Amino acid sequence: MSTTPNDFMAEGEPDQSRSVEGLAVEQVGSATTPDRWWQVIWSSKKARVGLVILGIYVLMAVFAPLIAPHDPLDGSFTPLQQPSGEHWLGTNTNGRDIASQLIFGSRVSLLVGLFGGALATAIALVVGLVSGYTEGTIVDDVLSFVTNVALVIPALPLIITLVAYSDTRGVWLIVGIIAITSWAGAARGKRAQIITLRNRDFVTSAKFSGESGARIIFSEIMPNMNSLVVAGFVGAATGAVGAEAGLAVLGLGDTRSVSWGTMLYQADAQGAIQQGLLTWIFAPGLALALLITAMSFINFGVDLLSNPHLRED
Amino acid sequence: MRYFLRKLGFFVGTLWAVVTLNFLIPRIQPGDPAELMVRRLQGKDSQLDAAQVRAMRSMLGTPDGSLWSQYWDYLGDLLHGNFGVSYTYYPFKVSEVIGQAIWWTVGLVVVTQIISFAIGMVLGAYAAWRRNTKLDATITIGSTFVGTLQPFWIALVLVYVFGYSLGWFPTSGGYSASTPGWNAAFIEEVISYSTLPALTLLIVTPIGWILGMRNTMIMNLGEDYIRLAKAKGLSDRTVALRYAARNALLPSVTGFALALGGVLGGTILVETVFDYPGLGRLMGEAVQNKDYPLLQTLMLLTTTGVLVANLIADLLYGVLDPRARRAEG
Amino acid sequence: MTGSPLLEVKNLEVRYEPKRARSMTAVQDVSFDIAPGEFVGLIGESGSGKTTLATALLRLLEKPGRISAGSITFDGTDITHLDQDELRDLRWRDLSTVFQSSMNSLNPVIRIEPQFRDAIEAHSDLRGEAVSERVRELFDMVFIDHRFITSFPHELSGGMKQRVNLALALALDPKLVLLDEPTTGLDVVVQHSILENVRKLQEEKGFAVLFISHDIGTVLDLSDRILVMYAGRIVESQPAGELLREPMHPYTKGLLGSYGDPRAETVRITYIPGRPPDLSLEHQGCAFAARCPEKIERCLTDYPELLPRSAGDVACHVAQQSGGTRHFDGPEFVKSADDSERAREREVVLTVDNVTKVFEKRRGLKVERTEAVTDASFVLHKGGVTALVGQSGSGKSTLARMITGIDSPTEGRIVFHGPDGDQQVSSFRGRALRDYRSHVQMVFQDPYSALNPTKRIGQILERPLVNFHGLKGEERRRRVEELLETVALTPSDRFVNRYAYELSGGQRQRVVIARALAVLPEVIVADEPISSLDVSIRAEILELLNDLVQTHDVGILYITHDLLSARMLADDVIVLNEGRVVEQGPALQVIRDPQDDYTRTLLDAVPNPF
Repeated sequence: MSTTPNDFMAEGEPDQSRSVEGLAVEQVGSATTPDRWWQVIWSSKKARVGLVILGIYVLMAVFAPLIAPHDPLDGSFTPLQQPSGEHWLGTNTNGRDIASQLIFGSRVSLLVGLFGGALATAIALVVGLVSGYTEGTIVDDVLSFVTNVALVIPALPLIITLVAYSDTRGVWLIVGIIAITSWAGAARGKRAQIITLRNRDFVTSAKFSGESGARIIFSEIMPNMNSLVVAGFVGAATGAVGAEAGLAVLGLGDTRSVSWGTMLYQADAQGAIQQGLLTWIFAPGLALALLITAMSFINFGVDLLSNPHLRED
Repeated sequence: MRYFLRKLGFFVGTLWAVVTLNFLIPRIQPGDPAELMVRRLQGKDSQLDAAQVRAMRSMLGTPDGSLWSQYWDYLGDLLHGNFGVSYTYYPFKVSEVIGQAIWWTVGLVVVTQIISFAIGMVLGAYAAWRRNTKLDATITIGSTFVGTLQPFWIALVLVYVFGYSLGWFPTSGGYSASTPGWNAAFIEEVISYSTLPALTLLIVTPIGWILGMRNTMIMNLGEDYIRLAKAKGLSDRTVALRYAARNALLPSVTGFALALGGVLGGTILVETVFDYPGLGRLMGEAVQNKDYPLLQTLMLLTTTGVLVANLIADLLYGVLDPRARRAEG
Repeated sequence: MTGSPLLEVKNLEVRYEPKRARSMTAVQDVSFDIAPGEFVGLIGESGSGKTTLATALLRLLEKPGRISAGSITFDGTDITHLDQDELRDLRWRDLSTVFQSSMNSLNPVIRIEPQFRDAIEAHSDLRGEAVSERVRELFDMVFIDHRFITSFPHELSGGMKQRVNLALALALDPKLVLLDEPTTGLDVVVQHSILENVRKLQEEKGFAVLFISHDIGTVLDLSDRILVMYAGRIVESQPAGELLREPMHPYTKGLLGSYGDPRAETVRITYIPGRPPDLSLEHQGCAFAARCPEKIERCLTDYPELLPRSAGDVACHVAQQSGGTRHFDGPEFVKSADDSERAREREVVLTVDNVTKVFEKRRGLKVERTEAVTDASFVLHKGGVTALVGQSGSGKSTLARMITGIDSPTEGRIVFHGPDGDQQVSSFRGRALRDYRSHVQMVFQDPYSALNPTKRIGQILERPLVNFHGLKGEERRRRVEELLETVALTPSDRFVNRYAYELSGGQRQRVVIARALAVLPEVIVADEPISSLDVSIRAEILELLNDLVQTHDVGILYITHDLLSARMLADDVIVLNEGRVVEQGPALQVIRDPQDDYTRTLLDAVPNPF
């Protein structure tokens, strides 16, 4: 028995009204329902802040055409203007409005984060589930090996190499390449968890209840992995946002749209520092940092799910 | 012993997989990257010799010959260090170009990573030991915040502050006037030019170690052997170092090599910003110029580097954790 | 008791005040003394606060727990609020401990010797070879070969680790050793020998012991005096002999009633219905009142103080007035010998015929063969219970896996005499195996892991009905209710929409049994179904299983390490040792007149307070 207070939970108030003869049956515990995963996440102050900031970014991305004062690709303004009422953050060397670029840039980051993260999580889930459920067989051996190889290959050099061959670099290419290079860590985690879950008696008892293999995986085991999947998604999305920005800084971004990474690339390439256009450099970097901060804060909440030791903070 | 053999086996297997992946990437591309390279090189120099064309083809693929025989040629070329010629640095061979750049990156990464790891372990362990104090909060929140900044952006800010505004350090290149060699003037220049790239990496890379170490350490502090060590009346120092930190260190050791992959990614970007003459800048240039032989070789090289680091970390883990050596396959 | 006590606890209160949950008083108003050299037992079931108390005594409580009132005086020093630096001198030299989880209380990455050395060097002048000499001496005391001194912890078996922990606790000749469930999780036979070792060393060295356990049987054997803890309070304190002869608190009576003499013609064991109160809620009166058969009006309103009576102290209004009876007046499960006679006449439903199971494990090029079961033969009767008794590693679970079709025998055969004639179990694959499971079901050891935490009870019970009987809608709903009522989870509508974590261990085990019953099986394999439950409620589950045999005509294979429960439930007993059947026959006969040494060892290990 541990000294955690959990030992004392799950007991109901003694029902005083029962007589001695009525003792044979216990009553059900009162409201000691453990929190659901979203409640646990929301209970963390940091996670709440993170979710609010993320919400603001989403609104900014969705309503970018309404919020932004100008077309981000309109190069008809006087270049190198300092911030003003007309150009909140000034204009760049190509005569484009920096504030508008910043607002539209959120779209690429969020899209890549959402879809890159989701796709990577989906791959991780499939590989992890199959590999874990077939543990000890040749299928698992092969999948585990592939996972471990994918894990040790450094992601960014591989992404760069893959992207470099392509002439047109749309957002979806970037999403796809980020996803197929970054699923491995999560897959390994899911494999480990499914192995623990699979050996739990409730899985054996599901077999005794006549359940099919697919139902056991998807109806018995999967619902127990929610927290891991959520954590995996947040982590993958954060990684994807960073990777997209990194690619863009190397000049490998989507050439037809504006992202914070492409802004930084151009700012660096066209000597923004030397020309005193600090907003051009600082604004996209800070916008990225704040987005990633929000996601890391959300991850604090998610960490509480998988690591109850941290909950007392 | 079995543990070490298994790890060695995994290394060989992964190395094979990576070499093969490197073989396949250019071959699954639409079009004919090799043909493209040859034609562009011929544009530079019509005297391109047959051996170089052949090397290029074995690296990037050829329309004739079975995939199988191409694979053998490719493996043979790799063994002989024959990676073709670089388009960017023509007429230099890829091996020569890389041979120039590699020490810059190795020096930068090795020095900064050893320091980063040490900083991370110490701060992480200390924050966990002083859990829920102001100091812990400062370390944790500070790291989390810095961790959200992108390495290339930090590099740009450092360029602005220390290079452009204060003018303390050079912001671009690896050395300037002096001749490369073991002379005082050159070494001084290298240090001065490397300061800002190194500083960028030293800001970015300890973060993961700090937070990771703090988490594992906190988990370890809940273990019975820690409670028993406290009950034994051992000094805080002994409990914290010999019992808690010693155990909490283990996951970080295995994590080291994996993290190195991430560090290399960051290094590429940082080198690009500082125009630092290492592998990262080469990779940036290779991408810009579609210099596929150089790109493929760099990819192979960095991956192999991470694999070797991974092997070393695994072997070290086997020495540090007696349970690992016994764990069955 | 002469002179001043070694340990003096006064009105101790420990509270847990987590930020995100209700706070709770885990230990309340606890007072007791331990004299030098005294062996004191502390009994309590899960949730009674006994481990919290132990942690508080060692001053190892961590946030959010804290000592909120009272004092602990050790050897004349008030240690309640001493800071950690001041405590350090006293730790281990005067007060040492052995924790429950032997698996984990040694540092896994350091060899054994340095873990002795750091403690010895921190508190004595011994250095170098002198320390090594002391470690060898200590290893001799606990009968462990010196070659393990330089081992890593993972190279030792569970029993050895716990002996090493014991040796470590004695390293500096402490005045008090706190043993917190030191043998839980070990095999009964190993437990037995470690505890004997403890008692002998205690007599030789003269240190005092506070021995904490949930198992009244072992505590009674060893202790001079016993404290009984319930819901965070000490409810009774008596010398062991008196406690056994004349328990005063109804809870103590209930605990004692959970044991019986397996050799008797008719065995009665009682159980305490209900479960302990939630300590995070305010409540009035005696915490045990809701489960107490002797309670009077006053118990519901006034908390009974712990007051002296006869040879000890008791916190009970009724005991303070009359003393009541020795017997626990609650529900009772009775088994008499002739019940079993009838069962043996019934037809055979499953035959195990010369079954051998060999596991092969590949280690590099070598193949290791382990024979888990050797040449086992027995039968299961319809409407009868056969107990398979043995320690862990005896092959009993392997047999269960073969009978349920999870594994197949290497040699021999298992034949199921079902409605479709005789069928060999190992021939079942896929569809046939699924169908076989509508005849053979399983009850698991740990009801916490056997119920999916994401599903409601109703959903869990529905699945076999859908899969095997194709029931739908109203009919299925009614059958679920019926099942819940069969296992006495009534009214059933209070349980249908619950999640497993909302139920107590006993209730969960009832759900597991209900699920096994859903398909109306011919055979149920029950693998240690009571061993993870609190002692005081075990008989309740045994009684339920016994009822099912009578009313549902199901044959049960009852797997256990405990001969008493085997006697309570089974008609026939099969004793397994290292994969071999060493003895088999009618339960009473095997227990009264064991032929094999191993059976006798198992019998000796049954805690028998009588």
